[in-house]
Amino acid sequence: MTVQFLWIKLILLFTLLALVPLWVESSYIRHLFIIAFIYAVIASNWDLSLGYAGVFNFGHLTFFGIGVYTAAIATKALGVSPWLTIPLSGVTAACAALLMAAPVARLKGIYVVLVTFAVSQLVLQLVLSQSQITGGAEGMVRLPYLQIGDYKFIRDYKLGYYYMALSLLMSSTLFLVWLTKSPFGKSLRAVRDNEDYAQARGISISRQRVLALVMSAIFTGIIGGFYAIYLRVASPEVFSFGTMSLALSMVLIGGVGTIWGPVIAAIALTFATEAMAGIRGMEEARFILVAIAMIAVLRLAPGGVAGLLSRLVPEKN
Amino acid sequence: MSDALLTTLASGLVLGSLYALMASGLSVVWTTLGVFNFAHGALMMFGAYIAWTVSEAAGLGLLSGILAGTIVTGLVGVIIERLLIRSFYGNRNMLLITVMTTLAAMIIIEKGAQMIWGARLKQLPRLIEGEVSLFGTTVSAHEALIIGLAPTILLALWAFTTITSTGRSLRAVGQNQTSAALIGIHVPRAFSIAFAISAGLAGLTGALLGSIRFITPAMGSEPLVKAMIVVIFGGLGSLGATAGAAYVIGMLEAILILTVGLYWTPSLMFLVMIIVLVLRPNGLFGRRLI
Repeated sequence: MTVQFLWIKLILLFTLLALVPLWVESSYIRHLFIIAFIYAVIASNWDLSLGYAGVFNFGHLTFFGIGVYTAAIATKALGVSPWLTIPLSGVTAACAALLMAAPVARLKGIYVVLVTFAVSQLVLQLVLSQSQITGGAEGMVRLPYLQIGDYKFIRDYKLGYYYMALSLLMSSTLFLVWLTKSPFGKSLRAVRDNEDYAQARGISISRQRVLALVMSAIFTGIIGGFYAIYLRVASPEVFSFGTMSLALSMVLIGGVGTIWGPVIAAIALTFATEAMAGIRGMEEARFILVAIAMIAVLRLAPGGVAGLLSRLVPEKN
Repeated sequence: MSDALLTTLASGLVLGSLYALMASGLSVVWTTLGVFNFAHGALMMFGAYIAWTVSEAAGLGLLSGILAGTIVTGLVGVIIERLLIRSFYGNRNMLLITVMTTLAAMIIIEKGAQMIWGARLKQLPRLIEGEVSLFGTTVSAHEALIIGLAPTILLALWAFTTITSTGRSLRAVGQNQTSAALIGIHVPRAFSIAFAISAGLAGLTGALLGSIRFITPAMGSEPLVKAMIVVIFGGLGSLGATAGAAYVIGMLEAILILTVGLYWTPSLMFLVMIIVLVLRPNGLFGRRLI
């Protein structure tokens, strides 16, 4: 896909999303959009490490969870302003990614899957065991909310939160597109597609892997901080298999290695699963449907929805 | 030796036996197919529910329940291999794709179980009532049975893969699929057998565990995570190393619970595991595999 075409698509998408509040006044629908934007940031950043760099990272939700708990602990225990905690969450998540990358850079294949997964379990266990700080299994509630002067972001049907989430998604997407089109992004693809060749061209495989993980953690952590401040809770559920597989299905169904595919899939799947939650008897079945969709995409359309759409447009790569 | 230490030793043995049963199932599939089955814990849970349905809901007795749990789960394993694994052989991303498809299978089985059996806790009766004295401390007879059964099953599994020709064909397929096919081994059949054995083991473990823990749709995830630790310690390559690591981990867990308490134990175990992997990327007893 040509770069110009990608930009047109992104500008179109974000203009549309920016206009949504003009005709959507329901605070519930806007809430769904906000949640969808949050998942879109998680999924597209996961796509950077999993899809672009080819790191078998199954601990991506750890970065999100660390962002959530950074914001919760900083505001509740240290009294930091919620405005400051959101960028702070990006910093702590990136540091955690650096720590996680240390063992991962040396490992290969299934062991990368196991270690990244184990790290997420380690963080979950730490959160559960340190209940005097983290609230344990019950989590933390009543976090402070965002406001400018006297204007609370929850007012006007969550208008402030809507645009805040949208601008975070936009910054994250621009960052990812810029990163993947840069020489660094190309070197990541080289490492993914042909390790030996990349190494022969002087690319350090371990270093690129570490960098990819750290880069993918920044906005994931920031959106985690935002998620905690927006919902005003932090609960260990963010580390669960369920959250992870939902985010993973967004990456896969959207199209691995495309960045914008997971963004679209995240929005579509958030609304689809939420709509199904309203139907009686579908509360559990909707997760089964998402899992089946994931398998179907892997078997029938490995490029995901993005891959299917790209086939309609002549490629000039 | 003090009483606390003896009790710890006994509970370490029970844990180690359970982990050995779980991890050896993972190892069989890994060595034959090169697939890491994330649905293994969910299959264990499924076995427990089938055992409960046959023995409690249908009232056919615990032994037939355990038997049914083992066989039905084994069949589910064959279905998983057919539907979710087989079409990806030879794909250069097979390892990653099968992690994802088995993860999807885990979600389907877990949510499916919740829809079929509900969220209410269930429990199986014990196979043998009463208590047994072991190293001067008492454990329940059911736990003693698990301690005895695990090595027996592992030994049988080892014998199967070294003595019988079917078992040897599994190892041949694991070492080199093309050569195995050339000497007349039906490779797809070997895959099905490996998955059936592995899932059957998971079902059996679940049915045995259903008597000492509550049966819930999420009961499989904790043992799966522990089996992953075992597999990382022992490496995935050989049954012996995996089984050995299972007992080491079981003991370590029991000792940590005694010394640092229930809260810190899981964190410490993960930490130890990550350190082991940094120092020895192929596991504590592992040989170079990949």
